[in-house]
Amino acid sequence: MTTTSIPPHHTSVAPQSMRAALAPVLAAAVDDDSSLIALGADGRALFNQVLERDPRRYVDAGIAEANLVGVAAGLARAGLRPVAAAMAPFLVRRAYEQIRLDVCVPGLPVVLLGVGGGFGYGPLGPTHHAPDDITLMSAMPGMRVYCPADAADAVSVVRTLLADTSGPAYVRLSARPDPVLPTAASEGDPRGPRLLRDGDDVLVLATGRCVAEALDAADGLAADGVVAAVASVTTLRPFPATAIRELAGRRPLVVTAAESLAPGGLGPATAEALGRPGPAVISLHTDHRYPPVAAHQDLLRFYGVDGQGIRSAVLSYRHRKTREA
Amino acid sequence: MSNVDELARRARLRVVELAARKAIHLGPALSLIDVLAALYTRILRRDPARPDWPDRDLLVLSKGHGAYGLYAVLAELGVLTTDLNELPGHPSDGIPGIEAATGALGHGLSLASGLALGARLAGKDRRVYVITGDGELDEGSNWEAAQFAAHHRLGNLVAVVDRNRLQQEGDTEEVCALEPLADKWRAFGWRVGESDGHDITAIADAVTALEAGDGPAVLIAHTTKGRGVPFAEGDPAWHMGELDAAQRRIAVAALTASA
Repeated sequence: MTTTSIPPHHTSVAPQSMRAALAPVLAAAVDDDSSLIALGADGRALFNQVLERDPRRYVDAGIAEANLVGVAAGLARAGLRPVAAAMAPFLVRRAYEQIRLDVCVPGLPVVLLGVGGGFGYGPLGPTHHAPDDITLMSAMPGMRVYCPADAADAVSVVRTLLADTSGPAYVRLSARPDPVLPTAASEGDPRGPRLLRDGDDVLVLATGRCVAEALDAADGLAADGVVAAVASVTTLRPFPATAIRELAGRRPLVVTAAESLAPGGLGPATAEALGRPGPAVISLHTDHRYPPVAAHQDLLRFYGVDGQGIRSAVLSYRHRKTREA
Repeated sequence: MSNVDELARRARLRVVELAARKAIHLGPALSLIDVLAALYTRILRRDPARPDWPDRDLLVLSKGHGAYGLYAVLAELGVLTTDLNELPGHPSDGIPGIEAATGALGHGLSLASGLALGARLAGKDRRVYVITGDGELDEGSNWEAAQFAAHHRLGNLVAVVDRNRLQQEGDTEEVCALEPLADKWRAFGWRVGESDGHDITAIADAVTALEAGDGPAVLIAHTTKGRGVPFAEGDPAWHMGELDAAQRRIAVAALTASA
């Protein structure tokens, strides 16, 4: 048993909001880059400090996502660097065609921040859920897709993107404050996987809010006598396939966990990267079931992508292999 | 006939020759040629020797299905020198003279608003023109953009509505009525002008007059779909079509007679 040597990841630090963490970063970016222009459709919380510094650098499109994206594309064509924010379900689905034709096809450097991707809006219900944002954005030509794991990771991703004008990018942000992860989750280059905990029995790859769940699962698995490695994958596109292959090493099992529909997401990308012969890959993801009215954490459990779901998947697999052997 | 009218006539001949080779959006290309001719020759600040002059005025063809009309005018202006038949049915990035890929309807006014705002933020004295179809105004994103442009008082933005009163499915007023169209724009905070959309002097004068004021302006250009080809004029069946040999002869004869 290894439980005593591995401290649980939970800390006494209060959950932190990605929006609150990003607000000063975006304000500083406006100071640093005279071409940067912030736009929001119901997204002002991210830009309140930009507004305080210079109201001309923030454009409020009102609740009009299609126009938000079209205007951002026009500004980018005019030589500016737009960072546009809106609630993820409406930014992605209402403006999908504008994102594709106006931004992605010409490859314009527009950063899109989707607030409340996945099931972050919990009890607000399916109107506000966006389990499809990663899938849809991954289908866009040239779009880079990021799903940060906590507030510090969101800062690491946005800082990286602000320094890189190579094309369009989508960042899924949380709607509500997230658990604070070990600093390893936000250190180093967010474009590759980050190992948060090492172990030989199984590699758990998780993205976004599921990284905290993966650490919970690793705690539980330690009590079961299973030593799990946990890595956070923030960048889903372009998928860091080579780094994932190296990370998987010779472990017999890789479990992926994502608060997201499967297509274009972490599970299929991992399976493709590891190929055959490779380790067994179990993809945990959400599906199209109509969810109950429930808090975010309970919805993660409903779809089986919480700590308990990850732990069960690992144990079931090992049990089956033991019986087969 | 003025030089610009002659330019428009020759552009129409180019469109007819293209339609004799393959099915194209014939009616929508022919309806907007005089508007394009007026804008490019009388209104837009551009440098024929330097098509990419960074301070040029910009034109976005929101009704991208009018592409061959735009290509034909750009060819007459010497901007496009390739075989127009090789070009896509909707404007795409990378084609000389094309400022933005368009054709999915309801995108152009937002794009043009961003371009106009970008020019202002960059301190450039640049104007942005956008041509929308009238049927295209069914798309709600236009009205998001109309509200936005008025709110931001984009005085360097001018829209022209190609008001030919026909969309693919028929009369705009029978499909989903747009009238009172001028009042709608006014209610959104735009200044509105109207003109005959086939009288190049009237178009240019109306745009010039609109530019004297503050905030965004729109010209409702009253046009005829299929203009210049007698059997296609006002017939929604020619929204898209290919001319057979007899139809081509009739069309060319009509356009030649008007010289």
